[in-house]
Amino acid sequence: MAHDTGGAAASFYDAAPMAFDRTEGWAYFRGPGDVYERDGLWYLTSPQAVRFAHQHPEIFSSAKAFDSLGSPVPLIPIAIDPPAHVRYRRLLDPMLAPRVIGGIEDELRRQVREIIGEFAGRGSCDVMADLAKLYPAQVIMTLFGLPLEDRDTFIAWTKVLVGSSGGGVGEATPEQMEAGLALFSYLQEYIDEKRATPADDMLSRVLSMEGEDAWTNEEILGLCFLFILAGLDTVTAAIGFVLRALGEDPGLRARIAADPQLTGPLVEEVLRLELPAPMTPRVTTQAVEVCGTTIPSGAYAFLCLATVNRQDRDHPDSIDLGAGDRGHMSFGGGIHRCLGSHLARRELRIVVEEWLSFIPDFTLAEGVRPAVHWPSGTLHYESLPVIFPATVAASPVGGAA
Amino acid sequence: MRILIDAAACTGHGRCYSLAPELFEDDEQGHGRVVGDGSVPPELQAAAQRAETACPERAVSLLPAG
Repeated sequence: MAHDTGGAAASFYDAAPMAFDRTEGWAYFRGPGDVYERDGLWYLTSPQAVRFAHQHPEIFSSAKAFDSLGSPVPLIPIAIDPPAHVRYRRLLDPMLAPRVIGGIEDELRRQVREIIGEFAGRGSCDVMADLAKLYPAQVIMTLFGLPLEDRDTFIAWTKVLVGSSGGGVGEATPEQMEAGLALFSYLQEYIDEKRATPADDMLSRVLSMEGEDAWTNEEILGLCFLFILAGLDTVTAAIGFVLRALGEDPGLRARIAADPQLTGPLVEEVLRLELPAPMTPRVTTQAVEVCGTTIPSGAYAFLCLATVNRQDRDHPDSIDLGAGDRGHMSFGGGIHRCLGSHLARRELRIVVEEWLSFIPDFTLAEGVRPAVHWPSGTLHYESLPVIFPATVAASPVGGAA
Repeated sequence: MRILIDAAACTGHGRCYSLAPELFEDDEQGHGRVVGDGSVPPELQAAAQRAETACPERAVSLLPAG
Protein backbone atom coordinates (compact mmCIF):
# COMPACT_ATOMS: atom_id res chain seq x y z
CA MET A 1 0.00 0.00 0.00
CA ALA A 2 2.59 2.49 -1.13
CA HIS A 3 1.76 5.91 0.08
CA ASP A 4 4.33 7.85 -1.84
CA THR A 5 2.96 11.32 -2.14
CA GLY A 6 6.38 12.62 -3.01
CA GLY A 7 8.27 15.18 -0.95
CA ALA A 8 6.94 18.69 -0.68
CA ALA A 9 3.68 17.87 -2.44
CA ALA A 10 2.41 16.19 0.73
CA SER A 11 4.21 18.22 3.33
CA PHE A 12 1.11 18.67 5.50
CA TYR A 13 0.57 14.92 5.69
CA ASP A 14 4.23 14.09 6.16
CA ALA A 15 4.73 16.69 8.88
CA ALA A 16 2.08 15.26 11.24
CA PRO A 17 3.53 14.67 14.74
CA MET A 18 2.40 11.06 14.76
CA ALA A 19 5.40 8.89 15.56
CA PHE A 20 5.41 9.07 19.35
CA ASP A 21 1.97 10.35 20.23
CA ARG A 22 -1.27 9.74 18.35
CA THR A 23 -3.17 12.17 20.55
CA GLU A 24 -1.02 14.95 19.16
CA GLY A 25 -1.04 13.44 15.69
CA TRP A 26 -4.82 13.21 15.36
CA ALA A 27 -5.36 16.64 16.91
CA TYR A 28 -3.13 17.92 14.08
CA PHE A 29 -5.41 16.38 11.44
CA ARG A 30 -8.59 17.46 13.24
CA GLY A 31 -7.38 21.03 13.68
CA PRO A 32 -8.14 22.51 10.22
CA GLY A 33 -11.81 21.48 10.33
CA ASP A 34 -14.42 18.93 9.27
CA VAL A 35 -13.56 18.86 5.56
CA TYR A 36 -10.46 20.46 4.07
CA GLU A 37 -7.77 20.17 1.42
CA ARG A 38 -3.98 20.26 1.84
CA ASP A 39 -1.45 19.67 -0.94
CA GLY A 40 -4.15 18.26 -3.22
CA LEU A 41 -5.37 15.68 -0.69
CA TRP A 42 -8.73 15.99 1.02
CA TYR A 43 -9.42 15.16 4.66
CA LEU A 44 -12.81 14.33 6.20
CA THR A 45 -12.41 14.42 9.97
CA SER A 46 -15.82 14.76 11.66
CA PRO A 47 -18.36 12.01 12.40
CA GLN A 48 -20.91 13.68 10.09
CA ALA A 49 -18.49 13.96 7.18
CA VAL A 50 -17.16 10.42 7.47
CA ARG A 51 -20.65 9.01 7.94
CA PHE A 52 -21.78 10.81 4.78
CA ALA A 53 -18.90 9.29 2.80
CA HIS A 54 -19.63 5.82 4.18
CA GLN A 55 -23.25 6.13 3.16
CA HIS A 56 -22.43 7.32 -0.36
CA PRO A 57 -20.02 4.73 -1.77
CA GLU A 58 -21.10 5.67 -5.29
CA ILE A 59 -19.59 9.13 -4.74
CA PHE A 60 -16.66 8.10 -2.54
CA SER A 61 -15.26 5.25 -4.62
CA SER A 62 -13.17 2.63 -2.90
CA ALA A 63 -12.34 0.92 -6.21
CA LYS A 64 -10.55 3.97 -7.60
CA ALA A 65 -8.58 4.45 -4.39
CA PHE A 66 -7.33 0.86 -4.24
CA ASP A 67 -6.38 0.59 -7.91
CA SER A 68 -2.71 1.23 -7.36
CA LEU A 69 -1.69 -1.40 -4.80
CA GLY A 70 0.91 -4.02 -5.62
CA SER A 71 -1.76 -6.50 -6.51
CA PRO A 72 -1.93 -8.05 -9.98
CA VAL A 73 -5.67 -8.63 -9.46
CA PRO A 74 -8.47 -6.39 -8.14
CA LEU A 75 -8.69 -6.65 -4.37
CA ILE A 76 -12.03 -8.23 -3.59
CA PRO A 77 -14.23 -6.83 -2.18
CA ILE A 78 -12.57 -3.54 -1.13
CA ALA A 79 -11.62 -2.48 -4.67
CA ILE A 80 -15.13 -3.17 -5.93
CA ASP A 81 -17.85 -0.54 -6.01
CA PRO A 82 -21.60 -1.12 -6.00
CA PRO A 83 -23.49 -2.84 -7.49
CA ALA A 84 -20.99 -5.73 -7.93
CA HIS A 85 -19.84 -5.31 -4.33
CA VAL A 86 -23.03 -6.65 -2.78
CA ARG A 87 -22.62 -10.03 -4.46
CA TYR A 88 -19.19 -10.55 -2.92
CA ARG A 89 -20.23 -9.47 0.55
CA ARG A 90 -23.33 -11.65 0.46
CA LEU A 91 -21.04 -14.64 -0.13
CA LEU A 92 -18.16 -13.58 2.13
CA ASP A 93 -19.90 -12.17 5.20
CA PRO A 94 -21.25 -15.58 6.29
CA MET A 95 -17.73 -17.04 6.10
CA LEU A 96 -16.45 -14.53 8.66
CA ALA A 97 -19.58 -14.27 10.78
CA PRO A 98 -19.14 -14.61 14.56
CA ARG A 99 -20.63 -18.10 14.61
CA VAL A 100 -18.01 -19.28 12.10
CA ILE A 101 -15.17 -17.68 14.05
CA GLY A 102 -16.57 -19.34 17.17
CA GLY A 103 -16.05 -22.68 15.45
CA ILE A 104 -12.29 -22.15 15.08
CA GLU A 105 -11.72 -20.36 18.40
CA ASP A 106 -10.27 -23.41 20.14
CA GLU A 107 -7.74 -23.89 17.38
CA LEU A 108 -6.84 -20.18 17.38
CA ARG A 109 -6.37 -20.30 21.15
CA ARG A 110 -4.19 -23.38 20.91
CA GLN A 111 -1.94 -21.59 18.43
CA VAL A 112 -1.53 -18.50 20.63
CA ARG A 113 -0.63 -20.66 23.62
CA GLU A 114 1.96 -22.46 21.55
CA ILE A 115 3.52 -19.19 20.38
CA ILE A 116 3.55 -17.57 23.86
CA GLY A 117 4.75 -20.81 25.43
CA GLU A 118 7.89 -20.54 23.28
CA PHE A 119 9.12 -17.42 25.06
CA ALA A 120 7.24 -17.30 28.38
CA GLY A 121 10.15 -19.10 30.08
CA ARG A 122 12.73 -16.62 28.76
CA GLY A 123 11.79 -13.58 30.83
CA SER A 124 11.85 -11.24 27.84
CA CYS A 125 10.64 -11.03 24.29
CA ASP A 126 9.91 -8.68 21.44
CA VAL A 127 6.12 -8.61 21.26
CA MET A 128 6.20 -7.75 17.56
CA ALA A 129 8.76 -10.29 16.32
CA ASP A 130 7.87 -13.12 18.68
CA LEU A 131 4.08 -12.89 18.64
CA ALA A 132 2.38 -10.05 16.77
CA LYS A 133 3.96 -10.73 13.38
CA LEU A 134 3.50 -14.50 13.59
CA TYR A 135 0.01 -15.05 14.92
CA PRO A 136 -2.15 -13.13 12.40
CA ALA A 137 -0.33 -14.88 9.54
CA GLN A 138 -1.10 -18.24 11.13
CA VAL A 139 -4.74 -17.27 11.54
CA ILE A 140 -5.14 -16.36 7.87
CA MET A 141 -3.31 -19.53 6.84
CA THR A 142 -5.57 -21.57 9.12
CA LEU A 143 -8.65 -19.93 7.65
CA PHE A 144 -7.46 -20.65 4.12
CA GLY A 145 -6.18 -24.13 4.91
CA LEU A 146 -2.54 -23.42 4.03
CA PRO A 147 0.27 -25.34 5.76
CA LEU A 148 1.68 -23.43 8.75
CA GLU A 149 5.22 -24.56 7.80
CA ASP A 150 5.08 -21.95 5.04
CA ARG A 151 4.44 -19.20 7.57
CA ASP A 152 7.79 -17.45 7.45
CA THR A 153 7.94 -17.35 3.64
CA PHE A 154 4.39 -16.12 3.60
CA ILE A 155 5.24 -13.35 6.07
CA ALA A 156 8.32 -12.35 4.04
CA TRP A 157 6.24 -11.84 0.88
CA THR A 158 3.56 -9.88 2.62
CA LYS A 159 6.14 -7.64 4.27
CA VAL A 160 7.43 -6.52 0.88
CA LEU A 161 3.94 -6.28 -0.56
CA VAL A 162 2.60 -4.04 2.17
CA GLY A 163 5.88 -2.16 2.44
CA SER A 164 6.90 0.15 5.21
CA SER A 165 4.17 2.58 4.31
CA GLY A 166 0.64 2.35 3.08
CA GLY A 167 -2.46 4.25 2.13
CA GLY A 168 -2.96 3.83 -1.58
CA VAL A 169 -1.37 6.80 -3.33
CA GLY A 170 1.28 5.99 -5.89
CA GLU A 171 2.35 3.05 -8.01
CA ALA A 172 3.57 -0.32 -6.78
CA THR A 173 7.37 -0.69 -6.72
CA PRO A 174 9.13 -3.44 -8.75
CA GLU A 175 9.86 -5.27 -5.47
CA GLN A 176 6.20 -5.16 -4.54
CA MET A 177 5.20 -6.49 -7.96
CA GLU A 178 7.73 -9.30 -7.61
CA ALA A 179 6.55 -10.33 -4.13
CA GLY A 180 2.97 -10.05 -5.37
CA LEU A 181 3.68 -12.45 -8.21
CA ALA A 182 5.51 -14.92 -5.95
CA LEU A 183 2.55 -14.97 -3.59
CA PHE A 184 0.22 -15.19 -6.57
CA SER A 185 1.87 -18.40 -7.85
CA TYR A 186 2.06 -19.90 -4.36
CA LEU A 187 -1.67 -19.33 -3.84
CA GLN A 188 -2.51 -20.52 -7.34
CA GLU A 189 -0.98 -23.90 -6.52
CA TYR A 190 -3.26 -24.33 -3.51
CA ILE A 191 -6.26 -23.05 -5.40
CA ASP A 192 -5.74 -25.76 -8.01
CA GLU A 193 -5.29 -28.37 -5.31
CA LYS A 194 -8.38 -27.36 -3.36
CA ARG A 195 -10.45 -27.14 -6.49
CA ALA A 196 -9.56 -30.78 -7.17
CA THR A 197 -9.84 -31.95 -3.54
CA PRO A 198 -11.92 -29.61 -1.34
CA ALA A 199 -11.06 -29.50 2.37
CA ASP A 200 -12.81 -27.88 5.35
CA ASP A 201 -11.51 -24.34 4.92
CA MET A 202 -12.64 -21.00 3.59
CA LEU A 203 -10.72 -21.23 0.32
CA SER A 204 -12.33 -24.59 -0.45
CA ARG A 205 -15.76 -23.18 0.34
CA VAL A 206 -15.30 -20.25 -2.03
CA LEU A 207 -13.97 -22.60 -4.70
CA SER A 208 -16.91 -24.94 -4.35
CA MET A 209 -19.50 -22.31 -5.22
CA GLU A 210 -21.36 -23.13 -8.35
CA GLY A 211 -23.53 -21.59 -11.05
CA GLU A 212 -23.84 -17.82 -10.93
CA ASP A 213 -22.08 -17.76 -7.53
CA ALA A 214 -18.96 -19.45 -8.92
CA TRP A 215 -15.74 -17.43 -8.60
CA THR A 216 -13.10 -17.06 -11.29
CA ASN A 217 -9.46 -17.67 -10.48
CA GLU A 218 -8.78 -13.97 -10.67
CA GLU A 219 -11.52 -13.22 -8.16
CA ILE A 220 -10.23 -15.81 -5.73
CA LEU A 221 -6.69 -14.49 -5.95
CA GLY A 222 -8.02 -10.98 -5.39
CA LEU A 223 -9.77 -12.17 -2.27
CA CYS A 224 -6.64 -13.90 -0.98
CA PHE A 225 -4.60 -10.75 -1.57
CA LEU A 226 -7.05 -8.63 0.29
CA PHE A 227 -7.04 -10.96 3.29
CA ILE A 228 -3.29 -10.78 3.37
CA LEU A 229 -3.11 -7.02 2.97
CA ALA A 230 -5.95 -6.30 5.37
CA GLY A 231 -5.71 -9.13 7.86
CA LEU A 232 -2.04 -9.36 8.75
CA ASP A 233 -0.54 -5.94 9.36
CA THR A 234 -3.63 -4.62 11.05
CA VAL A 235 -3.91 -7.35 13.67
CA THR A 236 -0.13 -7.34 14.12
CA ALA A 237 -0.35 -3.63 14.86
CA ALA A 238 -3.28 -3.98 17.24
CA ILE A 239 -1.55 -6.72 19.24
CA GLY A 240 1.38 -4.36 19.73
CA PHE A 241 -0.88 -1.50 20.79
CA VAL A 242 -2.91 -3.49 23.31
CA LEU A 243 0.14 -5.13 24.89
CA ARG A 244 1.91 -1.79 25.13
CA ALA A 245 -1.12 -0.35 26.94
CA LEU A 246 -1.08 -3.25 29.40
CA GLY A 247 2.70 -3.29 29.80
CA GLU A 248 2.79 0.39 30.69
CA ASP A 249 -0.04 0.39 33.16
CA PRO A 250 -0.04 -1.94 36.20
CA GLY A 251 -3.42 -0.50 37.26
CA LEU A 252 -4.96 -1.53 33.96
CA ARG A 253 -3.48 -5.03 34.27
CA ALA A 254 -4.90 -5.31 37.78
CA ARG A 255 -8.37 -4.28 36.63
CA ILE A 256 -8.40 -6.85 33.82
CA ALA A 257 -7.06 -9.53 36.18
CA ALA A 258 -9.79 -8.73 38.72
CA ASP A 259 -12.51 -8.70 36.08
CA PRO A 260 -11.65 -10.62 32.89
CA GLN A 261 -14.98 -9.41 31.42
CA LEU A 262 -13.19 -6.10 30.89
CA THR A 263 -10.98 -7.64 28.20
CA GLY A 264 -13.64 -6.84 25.57
CA PRO A 265 -13.89 -3.14 26.54
CA LEU A 266 -10.09 -2.93 26.74
CA VAL A 267 -9.74 -4.23 23.18
CA GLU A 268 -12.40 -1.80 21.97
CA GLU A 269 -10.75 1.18 23.65
CA VAL A 270 -7.32 0.34 22.27
CA LEU A 271 -8.86 -0.06 18.80
CA ARG A 272 -10.57 3.30 19.22
CA LEU A 273 -7.37 5.15 20.13
CA GLU A 274 -4.70 3.28 18.18
CA LEU A 275 -6.04 2.49 14.72
CA PRO A 276 -3.86 0.25 12.58
CA ALA A 277 -5.55 1.73 9.47
CA PRO A 278 -6.54 5.20 10.65
CA MET A 279 -7.49 6.88 7.37
CA THR A 280 -9.40 5.15 4.61
CA PRO A 281 -8.70 6.38 1.08
CA ARG A 282 -11.49 7.15 -1.39
CA VAL A 283 -11.69 8.93 -4.75
CA THR A 284 -14.70 11.09 -5.55
CA THR A 285 -16.66 10.27 -8.70
CA GLN A 286 -18.36 13.67 -8.80
CA ALA A 287 -18.21 17.05 -7.09
CA VAL A 288 -19.92 16.80 -3.72
CA GLU A 289 -20.72 19.12 -0.82
CA VAL A 290 -19.89 17.69 2.59
CA CYS A 291 -20.43 19.70 5.79
CA GLY A 292 -20.62 22.91 3.77
CA THR A 293 -17.43 22.38 1.74
CA THR A 294 -17.39 21.32 -1.91
CA ILE A 295 -14.98 18.54 -2.82
CA PRO A 296 -14.25 18.39 -6.57
CA SER A 297 -14.72 15.32 -8.74
CA GLY A 298 -11.72 12.98 -8.93
CA ALA A 299 -10.37 14.14 -5.56
CA TYR A 300 -8.28 11.79 -3.44
CA ALA A 301 -9.88 11.89 0.00
CA PHE A 302 -9.00 10.43 3.38
CA LEU A 303 -11.80 9.40 5.71
CA CYS A 304 -10.14 10.08 9.08
CA LEU A 305 -11.60 7.36 11.26
CA ALA A 306 -9.07 8.16 13.98
CA THR A 307 -10.27 11.74 14.47
CA VAL A 308 -13.91 10.64 14.53
CA ASN A 309 -13.12 8.23 17.37
CA ARG A 310 -11.87 11.02 19.60
CA GLN A 311 -14.90 13.28 19.39
CA ASP A 312 -17.93 13.65 21.67
CA ARG A 313 -16.45 11.75 24.60
CA ASP A 314 -15.71 12.40 28.26
CA HIS A 315 -12.18 10.98 27.97
CA PRO A 316 -11.41 11.27 24.27
CA ASP A 317 -7.69 10.58 24.44
CA SER A 318 -7.27 7.87 27.06
CA ILE A 319 -8.48 4.34 27.70
CA ASP A 320 -11.86 4.51 29.39
CA LEU A 321 -13.01 0.98 30.18
CA GLY A 322 -16.40 2.28 31.27
CA ALA A 323 -16.98 3.64 27.75
CA GLY A 324 -15.64 0.56 25.97
CA ASP A 325 -19.10 -0.27 24.64
CA ARG A 326 -19.77 3.12 23.10
CA GLY A 327 -18.62 2.07 19.66
CA HIS A 328 -15.99 3.49 17.32
CA MET A 329 -15.19 3.78 13.64
CA SER A 330 -11.98 1.78 13.56
CA PHE A 331 -13.49 -0.90 11.35
CA GLY A 332 -14.95 1.69 9.00
CA GLY A 333 -18.62 1.79 8.11
CA GLY A 334 -21.11 1.48 5.33
CA ILE A 335 -20.81 -1.21 2.67
CA HIS A 336 -17.04 -1.61 3.09
CA ARG A 337 -17.27 -2.19 6.84
CA CYS A 338 -14.25 -4.37 7.70
CA LEU A 339 -15.09 -7.89 6.62
CA GLY A 340 -12.69 -9.33 9.17
CA SER A 341 -13.81 -7.36 12.22
CA HIS A 342 -15.27 -10.35 14.03
CA LEU A 343 -12.12 -12.34 13.41
CA ALA A 344 -9.87 -9.46 14.47
CA ARG A 345 -11.78 -8.87 17.70
CA ARG A 346 -11.62 -12.57 18.55
CA GLU A 347 -7.89 -12.75 17.81
CA LEU A 348 -7.21 -9.76 20.04
CA ARG A 349 -9.33 -11.03 22.91
CA ILE A 350 -7.65 -14.44 22.76
CA VAL A 351 -4.18 -12.86 22.67
CA VAL A 352 -4.88 -10.69 25.73
CA GLU A 353 -6.43 -13.57 27.68
CA GLU A 354 -3.65 -16.00 26.90
CA TRP A 355 -0.85 -13.47 27.33
CA LEU A 356 -2.11 -12.57 30.80
CA SER A 357 -2.51 -16.22 31.74
CA PHE A 358 1.16 -16.88 30.91
CA ILE A 359 2.58 -13.44 31.71
CA PRO A 360 0.39 -11.55 34.21
CA ASP A 361 3.11 -9.01 34.98
CA PHE A 362 5.37 -7.37 32.45
CA THR A 363 6.86 -4.01 31.56
CA LEU A 364 8.45 -2.41 28.54
CA ALA A 365 12.20 -2.98 28.48
CA GLU A 366 14.15 -0.09 29.99
CA GLY A 367 14.54 2.96 27.80
CA VAL A 368 12.07 1.75 25.19
CA ARG A 369 9.92 4.48 23.69
CA PRO A 370 7.77 2.78 21.06
CA ALA A 371 7.24 4.78 17.87
CA VAL A 372 5.20 4.17 14.74
CA HIS A 373 6.64 4.87 11.32
CA TRP A 374 5.26 8.04 9.72
CA PRO A 375 4.23 8.94 7.04
CA SER A 376 2.40 5.70 6.53
CA GLY A 377 -1.10 4.50 5.77
CA THR A 378 -0.90 1.77 8.39
CA LEU A 379 0.51 2.32 11.86
CA HIS A 380 2.38 -0.23 13.91
CA TYR A 381 5.44 -0.69 16.09
CA GLU A 382 8.39 -2.39 14.43
CA SER A 383 9.56 -3.66 17.77
CA LEU A 384 8.22 -3.78 21.33
CA PRO A 385 10.71 -5.35 23.76
CA VAL A 386 9.20 -6.35 27.11
CA ILE A 387 10.53 -8.03 30.24
CA PHE A 388 8.73 -10.20 32.78
CA PRO A 389 9.35 -12.84 35.45
CA ALA A 390 10.01 -16.05 33.52
CA THR A 391 7.08 -18.46 33.80
CA VAL A 392 8.22 -21.75 35.29
CA ALA A 393 8.06 -24.59 32.78
CA ALA A 394 6.54 -22.17 30.26
CA SER A 395 2.99 -22.88 31.29
CA PRO A 396 0.23 -20.45 32.18
CA VAL A 397 0.22 -19.10 35.71
CA GLY A 398 -2.31 -20.85 37.92
CA GLY A 399 -3.69 -23.00 35.12
CA ALA A 400 -3.11 -26.39 33.59
CA ALA A 401 -1.17 -26.22 30.34
CA MET B 1 -39.74 0.36 24.97
CA ARG B 2 -39.27 -1.50 21.71
CA ILE B 3 -36.17 -2.07 19.56
CA LEU B 4 -35.91 -2.10 15.81
CA ILE B 5 -33.06 -2.86 13.39
CA ASP B 6 -32.98 -1.13 10.04
CA ALA B 7 -31.86 -4.09 7.92
CA ALA B 8 -30.90 -1.83 5.02
CA ALA B 9 -28.52 0.14 7.24
CA CYS B 10 -27.03 -2.84 9.11
CA THR B 11 -23.70 -3.96 7.66
CA GLY B 12 -22.87 -6.53 10.31
CA HIS B 13 -20.60 -4.80 12.83
CA GLY B 14 -22.22 -7.05 15.40
CA ARG B 15 -22.09 -4.65 18.32
CA CYS B 16 -25.79 -5.05 19.19
CA TYR B 17 -25.74 -8.79 19.71
CA SER B 18 -22.37 -8.62 21.45
CA LEU B 19 -23.51 -6.00 23.95
CA ALA B 20 -27.13 -7.09 24.42
CA PRO B 21 -27.40 -10.78 23.54
CA GLU B 22 -30.76 -10.98 25.33
CA LEU B 23 -32.24 -8.56 22.81
CA PHE B 24 -30.31 -9.21 19.59
CA GLU B 25 -28.88 -12.21 17.80
CA ASP B 26 -26.67 -12.76 14.77
CA ASP B 27 -27.95 -14.21 11.53
CA GLU B 28 -25.90 -16.30 9.07
CA GLN B 29 -24.42 -13.13 7.55
CA GLY B 30 -23.35 -11.87 10.95
CA HIS B 31 -25.97 -9.14 10.72
CA GLY B 32 -28.07 -8.21 13.74
CA ARG B 33 -31.57 -9.47 14.27
CA VAL B 34 -34.09 -8.58 16.97
CA VAL B 35 -34.97 -11.44 19.31
CA GLY B 36 -38.71 -12.07 19.62
CA ASP B 37 -41.03 -9.12 19.08
CA GLY B 38 -38.46 -6.54 20.12
CA SER B 39 -40.13 -5.42 23.30
CA VAL B 40 -37.63 -4.48 25.97
CA PRO B 41 -38.28 -5.43 29.59
CA PRO B 42 -37.35 -2.69 32.10
CA GLU B 43 -34.25 -4.51 33.33
CA LEU B 44 -32.81 -4.56 29.78
CA GLN B 45 -33.42 -0.92 28.90
CA ALA B 46 -29.84 0.07 29.68
CA ALA B 47 -28.57 -2.76 27.46
CA ALA B 48 -30.86 -1.63 24.64
CA GLN B 49 -29.50 1.90 24.94
CA ARG B 50 -25.92 0.62 24.85
CA ALA B 51 -26.66 -1.25 21.63
CA GLU B 52 -28.22 1.82 20.07
CA THR B 53 -25.22 4.00 20.99
CA ALA B 54 -22.65 1.45 19.86
CA CYS B 55 -24.07 0.82 16.38
CA PRO B 56 -21.69 2.51 13.92
CA GLU B 57 -24.43 2.57 11.25
CA ARG B 58 -27.15 3.94 13.56
CA ALA B 59 -29.24 0.98 12.46
CA VAL B 60 -30.64 0.28 15.94
CA SER B 61 -33.61 2.39 17.08
CA LEU B 62 -35.45 2.54 20.38
CA LEU B 63 -39.14 3.28 20.14
CA PRO B 64 -41.81 3.80 22.77
CA ALA B 65 -43.71 0.58 23.48
CA GLY B 66 -46.98 -0.05 21.61
